[in-house]
Amino acid sequence: MDSDEELAERLRDGDEKALRVAYDRHGATVLYLAQRLLGNRADAEDVTQLTFVAAWTGRDGFDPQRGTMLGWLLGIAKRKAVDRLRSAERYKRVAETVSAQVPAEDETERPDRIVDRLVVADELSRLPADQRRTLELAFFDDLTHPQIAEVTGLPLGTVKSHIRRGMASLRRRWEVDGAAFGSRSTRASRAL
Amino acid sequence: MQHLDLDRLVLLALSEPQEPADADHLAECAGCRHDLESLRHVAELGAEGPDLGSLPAPPERIWQRIEAGIAPAETRVVRPRRSRWLLPALAAAVLAVAGTVVVLQRAPAETVTARATLTPLATVPADAGGTVRVLSDGEMLVDVRNLPLTTGFHEVWLIDPDHPTKMIAIGNLAARPDATLPVPPGVDMNRYRLVDISDEPHDGDAAHSGHSLLRGTLTS
Ligand SMILES: [Zn+2]
Repeated sequence: MDSDEELAERLRDGDEKALRVAYDRHGATVLYLAQRLLGNRADAEDVTQLTFVAAWTGRDGFDPQRGTMLGWLLGIAKRKAVDRLRSAERYKRVAETVSAQVPAEDETERPDRIVDRLVVADELSRLPADQRRTLELAFFDDLTHPQIAEVTGLPLGTVKSHIRRGMASLRRRWEVDGAAFGSRSTRASRAL
Repeated sequence: MQHLDLDRLVLLALSEPQEPADADHLAECAGCRHDLESLRHVAELGAEGPDLGSLPAPPERIWQRIEAGIAPAETRVVRPRRSRWLLPALAAAVLAVAGTVVVLQRAPAETVTARATLTPLATVPADAGGTVRVLSDGEMLVDVRNLPLTTGFHEVWLIDPDHPTKMIAIGNLAARPDATLPVPPGVDMNRYRLVDISDEPHDGDAAHSGHSLLRGTLTS
């Protein structure tokens, strides 16, 4: 499997097959985000298309040192979706000849949270199997560490270290992609 | 000052109840509060899912549109792909051998420079659809089926998908399932590549009703 670095390099070289690899890997997540933001399938497919076309056109702008390819693609998709929502609203307003109103502020909050959620979910899926399993039991089944130790048969100390390392990876990824492609600013936190 | 150890912070972030000693320290230490907040936030995000592995693969048609979108402009509109040239030519040749001249007479005007498959929007019955072909002479052949009945009329638009408020009204379908409409000269079909069929009321308002039925993107 090509790493983000290799994909970025192939993209910069103008290799369309690399875009296809990115689409196979991340197209479903981009479409999911667009669908969540726009609430309609046709617009979501349009935005997915626009996102990958923009990724191709702007491929020199992706820096794998700054964040992941998924984070970058979701950042593009979010902007395209928000643009579309705004112009749809503008269009509605023009049609209704209502004077311009600034869209509500909390509108910009929601897309970021969905992006963050997807980035964290992606990182969770990349964790070593034991770490992922332990965290899933903590997140989705709401189990305490001793309960997780019981369910998995792992020693309590191992459960704790899986959870600590897993959480550290998730937080690092959230901070990196959020700072690189989102609207959040970098915040210093202690290394775990 | 003795900070909370990180195992402890992770535990607290995963909703382990705070001991009085934890609470005392957190009350005084902004650094630990910040760490706990960010861990808690990440745990929330993690618990909200979704399971990315279970998302369905996106439909192939999106990829086809991406491919069309990244093709160099000259291959997109000016020069149709060779396979599309060969087929009609071959068909014409076969028909000519069979003694039909109709195709040959019309052939020069019928070079298709772009086409689109129209698919229904979410609110429209799934069997509705259509095709659009743009000919080299600037005419657009629109063919639709199973459109919902309208008390007004069906209008054909070309939209710039990058700026969806930019659109050009091409003409209406009257009551027929097919129509030949002229594309105004000078329209950049690379830009206005999204074909949209809308339901328009007879309200004297020339703007798009906002009620789209079918859409498809023109590709060469
Ligand atoms: Zn502290």
